[in-house]
Amino acid sequence: MKTKWIGLAVLLLVITGAGLYAAVGRPAEAVEITGFVGGEKIGLLEDEQVTERMEEKYGLKMDYARAGSLDMITADHSGRNYLFPSSQTALELYENLYGRPTKSEIVLNTPIVLYTRRAVAKALTDQGIVSEEDGVLYGDMEKLIQCLEDETTWEELGLPQLYGSFSVGTTDPNKSNSGNMFAGLLANILCGGVADESNIDEALPRLRSIFQKLGYMETSSSDLFDQFLKTGMGAKPLIAGYENQLLEFAVQNPSDWEQVKDDIVMIYPNPSVWSAHVFIALDEAGAKGIDALMDEEVQQLAWDRHGFRTGVYGTAMDTEKFGVDGVAREITRIAPMPDVNTMMKIMDALK
Amino acid sequence: MKGYGKWAGAFLALLCAAGLALAGCGGGGRESAEDSGADSVLGSGRETLRILSGSENEELEPILENFAEEQNVRIEMTYQGSLDIMRALGREEIPYDGVWPASSLWLSVGDTNFKVKHTESISITPVVFGIRQSLAEELGFVGREVSVNDLLEAIRGGNLRFCMTSATQSNSGASAYIGFLYALLGNPEVITSEDLEDPGLQEQMTELLSGVDRSSGSSDWLKDMFLEGGYDAMVNYECLIIQANEELEDRGEETLQVVYPYDGLSIADSPLGYVDNGDDGKEELFLKLQEYLLSDSVQNEIQRTGRRTGYAGISEENRDVFREDWGVQPDRVLSPIRMPASDVLFQCLNLYQTEFKKPSLNVYCLDYSGSMEGEGNEQLVEAMGQLLIQEEAAKNFLQASEHEVNILIPFNLSVLGVYQAEGPGEELEELYDVVRDQPVGGGTNMYEAAMEGLSMLSEYDLSQYTPAIILLTDGESLDSFDDFRDQYEAMGADVPVFSIMFGDAQPEQLEQLAELTNARVFDGRTNLTEAFRQVKGYN
Repeated sequence: MKTKWIGLAVLLLVITGAGLYAAVGRPAEAVEITGFVGGEKIGLLEDEQVTERMEEKYGLKMDYARAGSLDMITADHSGRNYLFPSSQTALELYENLYGRPTKSEIVLNTPIVLYTRRAVAKALTDQGIVSEEDGVLYGDMEKLIQCLEDETTWEELGLPQLYGSFSVGTTDPNKSNSGNMFAGLLANILCGGVADESNIDEALPRLRSIFQKLGYMETSSSDLFDQFLKTGMGAKPLIAGYENQLLEFAVQNPSDWEQVKDDIVMIYPNPSVWSAHVFIALDEAGAKGIDALMDEEVQQLAWDRHGFRTGVYGTAMDTEKFGVDGVAREITRIAPMPDVNTMMKIMDALK
Repeated sequence: MKGYGKWAGAFLALLCAAGLALAGCGGGGRESAEDSGADSVLGSGRETLRILSGSENEELEPILENFAEEQNVRIEMTYQGSLDIMRALGREEIPYDGVWPASSLWLSVGDTNFKVKHTESISITPVVFGIRQSLAEELGFVGREVSVNDLLEAIRGGNLRFCMTSATQSNSGASAYIGFLYALLGNPEVITSEDLEDPGLQEQMTELLSGVDRSSGSSDWLKDMFLEGGYDAMVNYECLIIQANEELEDRGEETLQVVYPYDGLSIADSPLGYVDNGDDGKEELFLKLQEYLLSDSVQNEIQRTGRRTGYAGISEENRDVFREDWGVQPDRVLSPIRMPASDVLFQCLNLYQTEFKKPSLNVYCLDYSGSMEGEGNEQLVEAMGQLLIQEEAAKNFLQASEHEVNILIPFNLSVLGVYQAEGPGEELEELYDVVRDQPVGGGTNMYEAAMEGLSMLSEYDLSQYTPAIILLTDGESLDSFDDFRDQYEAMGADVPVFSIMFGDAQPEQLEQLAELTNARVFDGRTNLTEAFRQVKGYN
């Protein structure tokens, strides 16, 4: 009887020992952090090459929930380690509300661009609204606004196959970042420089009227881009989006890109604005996310596979690899976004 | 109801089950569809994807079925109008894994809880007019660009009558209606709230919509109804007009000419999105389905159903589907109107429901036989509350208009009374009191009630209304179909008898009525309230 008990005790010891060994002997489990991310970066965060590198070198796993850049600032942050919006406006709003975060850094950049079809680009070039320099197309935003305000028809622009007036498809500035930044960009032009609290009031009625005429606006930049590609020239002749959307599409869907590449054209607004993807660490664990994302290899993957520009603003990049025509090597014609208080006024006016 | 009916039902169910077992078909078909509350079940695997979809996708079932069989999964399709899908997305619980409305507009407006992701457009198709070839030629609509105003003129002149889905229930109807609004408002940049206050608008729109022969809650059924009915024209998706034409041609009948109103065109982009209820396995399966649908070979198959797919336009080999002799323009640049901002859009829809559309003339024949006692009656009262209590009805854009007439005929073996209400006011809510307080008991004879309904209808000038009899029964009636048919045919009016199957109702009896009157049977057994809502959406 006794030996039986001893046997059992030995067995228990062995099991415990083995368990202990297993726990200590194995390398540390990756730390998982979680936060809110704007939808346009999900492709990057789910890229296996990126997640592997982060896990191997930084012992980090980034979980996320999708949220709009401004929504995420005012959302409940409990249980979250980071926020990863797509604009500096979001960081400014955060600082206004809660003070300085544990750490923050711009880790990726992409400019706002216009996407259109070959025939439309040609018509706009003929009208002097778009011009070419070194193989890159630039849009004269003052002329473009003029067309919007004058309700110039497509037919007058030389495109009788398109019904109605010239327009730029954009997402809702109150719901989605790309639309928000496009509104900031237009506000800059209307104010003749950078829109601020002193000059914005005068421009608001014009801005409101421009957006009102657009009618229904999409709520997500990726949906708008998908529709642009699929519904054809008639439905979305011209839209505003991020530069990285097309670069990412070309890399991730090579056979689809092959079918449309001759027809899709990118135009850089002159001047444009940067969509700066700021990583806001809410705690020390979250701050590790900055290290991982700033890792040289991750930054390289972000450009190579998802089209996000990295490094110092204006650095010349190798654009050949995408097989996309008309991508600017350097982005130099840029105006700063209006500050957060001005943006709040703009958003309020466009509600 | 009579006890005999119940046994017959059970016997029939047994026969069906035996038939299924003999046929050895792997669990598909109606039986399991009823269990799940879905309209259609494809495949028989254990893993299930539940998809809430616009009815136009019913035509893609064979393609979905291939996937279900290859992957050994089950796909449960539930068909609703796009606006219903929008409302479903707003509810706390969304008991589906995928949503597939006709247009992304309804998806982005409805997804207020941010539960939908991985949205991708599967195909696109424009909303167009399909007009009988000879009539289109007579009206001069062939071989030239046609504006909405050209169509309106033909309608005003009494030369064109058409069928369309309800603008407050279905995307194709809503799209066409917004196109009409633009034309009547003189094609503004975008419709605003102020535009809608235009005093002339109501008169013009009412006149225009008086040209509507028949309405429907869903586009696919509109096509089916059209094929049965001998109508002149319908507003529908290009792909459904193509399919209707294929059938008409098979029958040796006259086909429809496709007309693209250049200043009132809309595009349905058929977005398929994943509803994130936190199940990773479902997400993976969903993505597999989506990838399958977007693969080159399946995109080609979808294109052969008359939908525009891919990035490169319609391929040479599929030109035989997009037939130019039917007026289809495969290379047309589809340049749509602008949808108004969502608050204005809803204002437009409310106006349609309460001011503009032809008033409905509904006759509700409701079963108060003994077998309805208890739960059946409670469900009926609740369901009717959704329609008659206007605050509830407005949530689904089902509120009554100023001139709408509602007639209530409770019945058992005989007619128990006739009650009538005009307009959206107190009378209508009093009708609800009758529904609630009417005692239950006795046998079943729905024909008596339906014939009483016909007599009531013949007192109205039916050209001024969209009339319908909406019949709910839970048992078998004494067979007096012949009497009903005689009276129906003598009356000579196009009045659909929509019926809602409940309890042990006899599907054959209801189908017989539906066939005679070019109507449809709704299944109220899994959710009676939903069935009533749907049937009202047809009228």
